[in-house]
Amino acid sequence: MKRIVAITSCSTGIAHTYMAAEALEVAAKEIGHEIKVETQGSIGAENVLSKEDIEQADAVVIAASTTVDKSRFKGKRLLEVDVNEAIQDGESLLERSFDAPIYQKGSDTGEKVNSEKQGKEGKSSFQEVYSHLMTGVSYMIPFVVAGGLLIALSFAFGGINAEGELASSLKELGDIAMTLMWPALGGYVAFSIASRPGLVPGMVAGMLASSMDAGFLGSMVGGFLAGYTIVILRKWIRLPKNFSGLLPILILPLLSVLISGLIFIYVIGGPLIALNDGLTGWLNGLTGINSILLGLILGGMMAIDLAGPIGKAAYFFGVASLTNLSQGEVSTVMAAVMVAGMVPPLAMALSSTIIGKDRYTLEQREAGKSAWVLGFSFISEGAIPFAVADPIRVLPSVTVGAAITGALSMLFGTGIAVPHGGFFVFFIPGAVEGVLLYVLALAVGVAVSGILVTVLKKPIHTSVETDSRVQ
Amino acid sequence: MGLENLMSDALICLDLQVDDKTGAIHELADLMEADQRLKSKRKYIKAVMKREAESTTGIGMGVAIPHGKSKGVREPSLAFGRSQAGIAYDSLDGKPVNLMFLIAVPESSNDTHLKILSQLSRKLMHEEVRQKLLQMQTKDELYEILGDEG
Repeated sequence: MKRIVAITSCSTGIAHTYMAAEALEVAAKEIGHEIKVETQGSIGAENVLSKEDIEQADAVVIAASTTVDKSRFKGKRLLEVDVNEAIQDGESLLERSFDAPIYQKGSDTGEKVNSEKQGKEGKSSFQEVYSHLMTGVSYMIPFVVAGGLLIALSFAFGGINAEGELASSLKELGDIAMTLMWPALGGYVAFSIASRPGLVPGMVAGMLASSMDAGFLGSMVGGFLAGYTIVILRKWIRLPKNFSGLLPILILPLLSVLISGLIFIYVIGGPLIALNDGLTGWLNGLTGINSILLGLILGGMMAIDLAGPIGKAAYFFGVASLTNLSQGEVSTVMAAVMVAGMVPPLAMALSSTIIGKDRYTLEQREAGKSAWVLGFSFISEGAIPFAVADPIRVLPSVTVGAAITGALSMLFGTGIAVPHGGFFVFFIPGAVEGVLLYVLALAVGVAVSGILVTVLKKPIHTSVETDSRVQ
Repeated sequence: MGLENLMSDALICLDLQVDDKTGAIHELADLMEADQRLKSKRKYIKAVMKREAESTTGIGMGVAIPHGKSKGVREPSLAFGRSQAGIAYDSLDGKPVNLMFLIAVPESSNDTHLKILSQLSRKLMHEEVRQKLLQMQTKDELYEILGDEG
């Protein structure tokens, strides 16, 4: 769950302001995020965003046909669009806001009308591609979690062949969820690029990649192919007004599936399959010191920017390794990535609530309590409050521990069947291979980071603490 | 939600006869004028059309909420018109409009009325509210549907 703050406003301030606010609130509920919307209508500003609201928000959405003062949002991811866009398609707006560029004060002065477009053009093409990929992966992951866990359970109940009625039912459910991850990935990469029309060719491409054994890479590239096919088609096709209704319902779906599908089968499919096989072979062939080194690097990446772009890259790598497995296998790479990602919040929780209490303010000790929960849930962001306050000491400390944990996990050869779930999947039979050693790897990393950061930080004086309590 | 302050049965038309945007706006404005709610229909319509020229108030999903703030309005009012056949309205999603709320606000209006209108706008974003409005049989139901808390 993420937090979003938004402002809606329209020229008369009577109706659209509120419709947009409601649409955003409904959309946020729908996709499981938390939102607070300030309405700037003719009644004046209502539900005004507080400083804390803005600080805690992961993204800011401004849906307005008037000029809204953005100075409050300096340093935040900010997406600015016309008020109608929020009414029309709140969900995709919210999704896009998480990848919006960070707002810098003074970067725009009064130019409002096309700020969304400018924002897009201002983004480097790499960032844009990256944000499409992120959208696809975020839609895919729940499928892998559900599918992976169900398959693991079916083996737990029915042995390696999932024998017995319950086991085979579980296996069937798991298989279906696992199969759907490919269309989800391809479809939502394309959706992110071309919105609704992208879904059909993207899902078809994802399914195609699955049936051709082109795997993660194939679905991903297929999604991009499908999305950009729609973009190009939309640019080229001009219809007489009377037929324009046919475009979304007949012409775009047909042509986009046809074109992107054929290109996939006859042109890029082959190389992608080879590439995918190569990657899988390389991962499987990785043994001994090389695999430990990989664990070390991936583990460090998971901590160094706390679920920022570097961490996400490592995470994608883990997920990719997972999706290339045959059934019943577990991924050592995914295991290393997940367990390393749990280290930063747990280490900070350990340091702030147990071994180094006197080095933290009251607020930080409170944050430490929730960091325990976040850490066990594999939400690396739990360490962010500490990293923001003291990056120089915190980030290196947690990176060292996470790297050690990642390397240990590879050394022990522990594996995992799901891409998320943290400590809670440890107890599900079949989800984790070598669970005791896995816990050991985690404990060592957490201890190392926790002690390191405690030693590096100096105790704060009582007076300082009282100050912070007053604040 | 205090809707009765803003509208009366005289401002509700469950079966609009016209099928174009301008015609529909005029038909509902006529109802307002007949109910003594406008000082100058001409001025009010001008404000509504000016707002339409900025961007269409056909927000999609079969809903349009043309509105105007003008000296030509005597008291804050809300008229409702429904057309099962649909009104051509150049909506954002290109579809015809079935539910139309015409809003009239005087130049100086108190917040209570604006609040009611803001709540109405929020309600219209919910699919089930729109469905009920399309299916209702009597004018009384309109108050019920829009008056529902939630």
